[in-house]
Amino acid sequence: MTAKKKLIALFVLIVFLHSFVLFKINFAQQVEQEKTGTIQEEASEKIVPGPQGIKESTGLYVFIAWLWLAILVLVYVLRLKIKEEDRLLEMRFLSEKKK
Amino acid sequence: MKEKNVKKDIRSWLDERSGLSAVFRFLREKKIPQHKHSIWYYTGSAILLFFGIQVITGFMLVFYYNPTLEEANSSVARIMTEVPLGWIIRSVHSWSASFMIAFVFIHLLSIWITKGYRKPRELTWMSGVFLLVLSLLFGFTGYLLPWDDLSLSATKVGTDIPRSIPVVGVWVTKFLRGGEDVTGDTLTRFFGFHVCILPIFLLALLAVHVYLIQKQGMSLPLDLERKEEKVKELPFWPNFVYREMIVWLVLVGVLFTVSVFFPPSLDKAADLMAPAPEGIKPEWYFLFLFQMLKIFPAKILFMNGDTLAVLLILLGGTAFFFLPQIDNKPAERKGKMITVIAYLFIIYAVGMSVWSLL
Repeated sequence: MTAKKKLIALFVLIVFLHSFVLFKINFAQQVEQEKTGTIQEEASEKIVPGPQGIKESTGLYVFIAWLWLAILVLVYVLRLKIKEEDRLLEMRFLSEKKK
Repeated sequence: MKEKNVKKDIRSWLDERSGLSAVFRFLREKKIPQHKHSIWYYTGSAILLFFGIQVITGFMLVFYYNPTLEEANSSVARIMTEVPLGWIIRSVHSWSASFMIAFVFIHLLSIWITKGYRKPRELTWMSGVFLLVLSLLFGFTGYLLPWDDLSLSATKVGTDIPRSIPVVGVWVTKFLRGGEDVTGDTLTRFFGFHVCILPIFLLALLAVHVYLIQKQGMSLPLDLERKEEKVKELPFWPNFVYREMIVWLVLVGVLFTVSVFFPPSLDKAADLMAPAPEGIKPEWYFLFLFQMLKIFPAKILFMNGDTLAVLLILLGGTAFFFLPQIDNKPAERKGKMITVIAYLFIIYAVGMSVWSLL
């Protein structure tokens, strides 16, 4: 990687990380500003569940990603097992036919 | 060597008392036919999977849920906001109920279309239809438990429907509600049905259903049976079980993903005195019946429209239950007509549900 590319990567990384912080602050301020009486009332009446905060939501997305990764690995292993069992079945079938 | 002997001793001790080795032998020898409709065989085990998930998540929810007028809504709110991961448990419970009912419908419709109910599997079909009714009752009773505006209004509408049945209608409505109107007694009653009475009936019926399937074996589609060709068979253990495990894994993944991204919300506690909110809708699996009742005219000739609609639904349900007896010559013209009716029913149910959502 050249020095120029490294610099661009570092810049993108800083912007990316910074945007998280900025987004969080702005978002919180926006919510504060928008909290008029009616919105507050509605919020207290209806509970919309979901992860609380960026930490919990990130944790959940990571969990979902791991879950699917684990499923894919297990499916791959099971497919190998199925192939092997089907092969054994075919062999048994052929040997019975020979007899 | 010693460890091997201990294991053997434990196994023989258990086997002498329970006779489990006969069950394992049966499962090892069990064969599953392989053909172009084999995919439908997986729907049965998918139903069991979702039922199991519901039992586990239901146990978790019942630790915190309080089925009283004052506490029902706030206890669900507590599950969703204070209990660690409570909202996900509730979401998984709710979504697995929907998935289970969807698979029960798919399972029954696939049997209807492939005519798997024909002799000697009439009783298996009938127990399956009962299981569908019990699943729908699970959904109906569970819908009231959060005790919010929508669930109260939907239950009022739902429990009012049997009132139109001649002679016994009023009594059925009173029995369901525990009185004249939907009150705290209805909530306690529905909770009792949901966590005690319905599970007992469902487990008993499920045992009968599974026993009948094992006794009769898997059914073949009618066209294959008529050809009288030798159909390729797959051993249940391990070849079919491994395939089922793949289906289960994918379904669990889909269930968790949907539950995390689309959790059910909770409205404010229901007010018994408040007027019904606009746009009341039941769960998706009742939409086609709801829409049918909605579009029926108030009066048809000398009869009340509601009464006629409810009687038609009951008649349809009875015909569905006795389908093996009605379709007693599945290979002939009548049988083909009944298959066409199955397709028409699917189009009708989907069309009415979509119309209801519009």
